[in-house]
Amino acid sequence: MERAANISLAAWSDARPGDRTRASAKAFAAMVVASVCLSAALASWLPLQVSIVTVFLFAGPHNWFELRYFLMRLPARFGRSRNFFAVAFAGIFLLTIAYLSLPALYYANVWSGSNWPTAIATWNTLLLLWIGTLVMLRGKQNSRRDWSWALPVVFGLCAVNWLAPELFSLAIVYAHPLVALWFLDRHLRRTRPQWLSTYRRCLLLLPLLIAGMLWQLGRTSSLADDNGLFWRITQHAGADLLPNVSSHMLVSVHVFLEMLHYAVWIIALPLIGATGAVWSVKTIPLARRRSGFPKLIAAVLIVSVFVVAMLWLGFSVNYAATRDLYFAVAIAHVLAEAPFLLRMI
Amino acid sequence: MKRTVVLGAAALLLIASAVYTFGDIARPKTTPTPQAGKIIFHTGLQIVPDAKAYEARLQISEATLQRLREATANTSSANQSMTQRLMQSSTRTMVAGMFMFLAISFAGVWFARSSQRRSQKAVAAMVMVVGMLGAATVIVRANAGPPGYVYWQNLPQNLTKGKDTRGGLDIEIVSGDDNIKLIVPMKTTKKPGEE
Repeated sequence: MERAANISLAAWSDARPGDRTRASAKAFAAMVVASVCLSAALASWLPLQVSIVTVFLFAGPHNWFELRYFLMRLPARFGRSRNFFAVAFAGIFLLTIAYLSLPALYYANVWSGSNWPTAIATWNTLLLLWIGTLVMLRGKQNSRRDWSWALPVVFGLCAVNWLAPELFSLAIVYAHPLVALWFLDRHLRRTRPQWLSTYRRCLLLLPLLIAGMLWQLGRTSSLADDNGLFWRITQHAGADLLPNVSSHMLVSVHVFLEMLHYAVWIIALPLIGATGAVWSVKTIPLARRRSGFPKLIAAVLIVSVFVVAMLWLGFSVNYAATRDLYFAVAIAHVLAEAPFLLRMI
Repeated sequence: MKRTVVLGAAALLLIASAVYTFGDIARPKTTPTPQAGKIIFHTGLQIVPDAKAYEARLQISEATLQRLREATANTSSANQSMTQRLMQSSTRTMVAGMFMFLAISFAGVWFARSSQRRSQKAVAAMVMVVGMLGAATVIVRANAGPPGYVYWQNLPQNLTKGKDTRGGLDIEIVSGDDNIKLIVPMKTTKKPGEE
């Protein structure tokens, strides 16, 4: 009797982890599918309103989580990656300054509006060359990698950019939210490999949903952008560059992708432990090492919380102006994603 | 790799010097030419002979009228075709061409240097994708139907017989205050010896 009980228990103990894994993967898949479908439905139904609400609520916090994540991924000692990080930080700083100075120089009448596409094309070229340099530097860190294909790809993209600079910038606006999904993929591979195949299957839903949105909303009439805020939102989604495409469809697709981006940074990555314990600086290498800077890191995170609060206050007082300011400054986090993603590959 | 970069930089310098050389050539004098019309959208037209009608009528559906309104509202510079945009900026076209040259050059260098099997597989996959895209383009173009003038070819005979004729139509905005003009494509097939 005793022996029979032991056999039974042994069998159960072996079965449980597998069942738990399968159950957790199913729960994860259900969460992903539900979130993606809900985001698509909301973005299609009330694109302008949902855009306003999501940017108000999540734009600031998602930047805080990204900062927290980047600090965690920053090595305590750069070692062989010194050149890589030097180029990365210099690029982030200079490209952000250049991006912010573009509208400032325009409003200061330094150049006319007719030169705007050339200015945009120049900035995009610098961005592409910077990313190309980072790819080459990263490729050199491992002798098994041959990433020299990056050069022709970068030059090819530069050529496309000079043919249609404004459309190229619009493509960046739409492609940036998808980078978060790539981050999640790399983290699942490290922390939850058993969820990876489920996640990738769920991603197949994305092109289907986007195709469905394009098909359904492509025939709808354009949104009424009769006030300054609505006009800004439709312009951000490319309504001016694609006048024959329904702005309802453009804004919906953009808002949908933005919602996924926010969901990954605020919910998915912290849930799988990619950002570490949110309030603990011990998971950040720069704070953990013996001669580290725990107080400085803590101060940076606390000040960032205040900046998020200030952003909410700004949105409450003057939503349109704060939105413009936010999307100009937010280019820094778009740029910062490139080197940290390359470090994950 | 260093040699490639040096060669690339030398090529870049050479091209840049060519740009400056051409920059010294005086711009040719432009002769005033009548402004070309701009096609704002494509629709269809049916010519129906009516023995009972006393006046010619141009019937436009509400949907087409709405599209016409939207198209005329969007006749700003943002609605120009890619070719029109490029023609306005020769600098951008030159820079794009230079980057295309660099892309193709470096792709060639990479292709020649890639001796690893995996790279060759990637190249083979790329060539296959490009081939498939090309084939798809050919198929799509092949399915585009005959050119527009074919539909209008039987217009005289159909008018004589009292039959209707249907074909494609571009709505074009032209300068001036002339009446509405319908230009029907007619390919004259002259026999040898005819004037």
